[in-house]
Amino acid sequence: MRVYQCEDSLEGIFTAIYNAYEDKSSRQDTMISLTEELYLFGEYVPVTVDVTKAVKVMNTLHRRFGEEDYMKVCLALASRDEQKAQAIYQTVALGLASCCGKGHLLDNLADDYVNKVFFLSRAANNELCHLRGFIRFSELENGILYSSIGPKNNILTFLMPHFADRMPRENFMIYDEGRDLFGVHPAGKEWYLLQDEEIRLRPETFRYSEEEMQYRELFRHFCHKIAIKERKNLELQRNLLPLRFREYMIEFR
Amino acid sequence: MDKLGILTDAAKYDVACTSSGVDRKGDGHSLGNCLAGGICHSFSSDGRCISLLKILFTNECIYDCKYCINRCSNDVPRATFTPEEICTLTMEFYRRNYIEGLFLSSGIVKSPGFTMELIYRAIWLLRNKYHFNGYVHVKAIPGTDPELIQRLGFLVDRMSVNLELPTAEGLRALAPNKHRKNILTPMRQIQTGIHANKEELVVYRHAPKFVGGGQATQMIIGATPETDYQILNVAENLYQKFELKRVFYSAFVRVNEDKNLPALPGGPPLLREHRLYQADWLLRFYGFRASELLDEGRPFFNVLLDPKEDWAVRHLEEFPVEINRASYEMLLRVPGIGVKSAQRIVAARRSAKLSFEDLKKIGVVLKRAIYFITCSGRMMYPTKLEEDYIVRNLTSEKDRIRFGSDGMSYRQMSLFDDGAFQRPVTARERLLSAVGHV
Repeated sequence: MRVYQCEDSLEGIFTAIYNAYEDKSSRQDTMISLTEELYLFGEYVPVTVDVTKAVKVMNTLHRRFGEEDYMKVCLALASRDEQKAQAIYQTVALGLASCCGKGHLLDNLADDYVNKVFFLSRAANNELCHLRGFIRFSELENGILYSSIGPKNNILTFLMPHFADRMPRENFMIYDEGRDLFGVHPAGKEWYLLQDEEIRLRPETFRYSEEEMQYRELFRHFCHKIAIKERKNLELQRNLLPLRFREYMIEFR
Repeated sequence: MDKLGILTDAAKYDVACTSSGVDRKGDGHSLGNCLAGGICHSFSSDGRCISLLKILFTNECIYDCKYCINRCSNDVPRATFTPEEICTLTMEFYRRNYIEGLFLSSGIVKSPGFTMELIYRAIWLLRNKYHFNGYVHVKAIPGTDPELIQRLGFLVDRMSVNLELPTAEGLRALAPNKHRKNILTPMRQIQTGIHANKEELVVYRHAPKFVGGGQATQMIIGATPETDYQILNVAENLYQKFELKRVFYSAFVRVNEDKNLPALPGGPPLLREHRLYQADWLLRFYGFRASELLDEGRPFFNVLLDPKEDWAVRHLEEFPVEINRASYEMLLRVPGIGVKSAQRIVAARRSAKLSFEDLKKIGVVLKRAIYFITCSGRMMYPTKLEEDYIVRNLTSEKDRIRFGSDGMSYRQMSLFDDGAFQRPVTARERLLSAVGHV
């Protein structure tokens, strides 16, 4: 068995898939691993990230399975699961071999790998949809909107385009606490990602603008008033708005 | 702050406030975009979604509807927003991602036309001076000049006219100032407006959109003696004849003391509201007709079974359904299979023969579905296709086929699962054990 060891990134995994194809290895006999774990009778092939190879895989996925399925694969790649690379490789290889056509990559849910990719992708997408609503921006002294999040999946890349489209004339910034990653959007320009080591940003030293506290208070008051007390149902609220999101939301502080 | 509190308090009983139905990209300079699926930004302690800034323009009202907290004979604090206040509040909340847009309704000041004009001015300001491009939902007030509704329609994403009560008799009894005809006229006008606009959009791609998100309405449930059958028929008619996007049902909450209102010792009729929503989904997404679910002989929903289970046990001649062969429409009618799982089954069975294990992975709720389906000609367990047996299993917690942690075991065994423990000890046995014979 050949085990391709690559780094945990979209480019890394796509390069590994490319290499596996280049070596003409059979699907059953190949693994892509993100860890240093050892397998019995494994032949280890280290993978170095190669952007041109990754782009080729991306284009193939696009061409063969369509935009929608490509996005689903990317969302699955944002997951934290360690087996994701293997599941995605097997799914893609199966899809290419069976010529399943556009939009049908994840149809065969009876297959364990396809099923895994489907559920990883759905979990990441659900979290993305949640965060689109649950993110709270705070206005800093200098007028920049700032927000911090702590998502399970690495979805900052998917979150930024939504807000860039929504608020093109605002300077805003989203900080992923778990991954130490900043998404920055300067007004009227393209957004980009920043890793904290490059620039010393200290979220705890940020100071809020004067009106910020007023609007927070207003919104808290609004949330309190909008509830109908005859229908009180905290369990339903907890089902729809899990507690892990609440530490970042101003109305629950 | 007090103003916001008063006018939110006054608006909270309005339920028609989703942010869905419109997909609009940002235009590069103004604030806002819309997603077809809608976005929920928070949930209040009653578990309802907070999506739009739901406020009244004013809670002063010349009408005296018996069920409404803002009726003119009530002694409540009154307040009115200025259009500028509404605009800044919306903009500042939206920037911070607290809300998805604005929902604006109002009590009636002076006349319906005058009130509508006020709302129009506020929305115009929000769109043109503040350049707000997010979601806006307004209430059309019955009895307004049609021309004004036409103008307002081009500024907003969704408009709704509240039906308030399902029948004309109910309306006459509880809302003496409102007439059913007046309510249906603007509804029809918006419908024709949307149609005309669609044709226009075919010719001119950049023609302004008229009420792009469609229209909605709401009915109060449990304030008047209508049956579920009547309510569901009204809803079906609204969907078919008026092409509404949504009909909302609002369990009646007794906020006023009035001899014409029913007393509700058990709280608002939430289960009834829930059953109506379930039936509403069956009408819209599952291809059911109102007459299939209820009829004059049985005008109310079953309390224990949901409408789909109820239909299934009354139509056992249609079951069991073979998963690997049945049509999509038939799969949709099986309890425990929803729209998503039915689509996945149809997609997945093209490449593999599905087993019960696979169905579980796909997301079918087996504990409801097992009585009605077969995989490759076999049922999961030997169950009887018999109305009494199925109803008993679906409803009672104790007799239900037990599911283990893997969801597959026929019956969970436990150390104390012995039948003897269930039987009460008899007097004779007690005597025997006392003298040491047991």
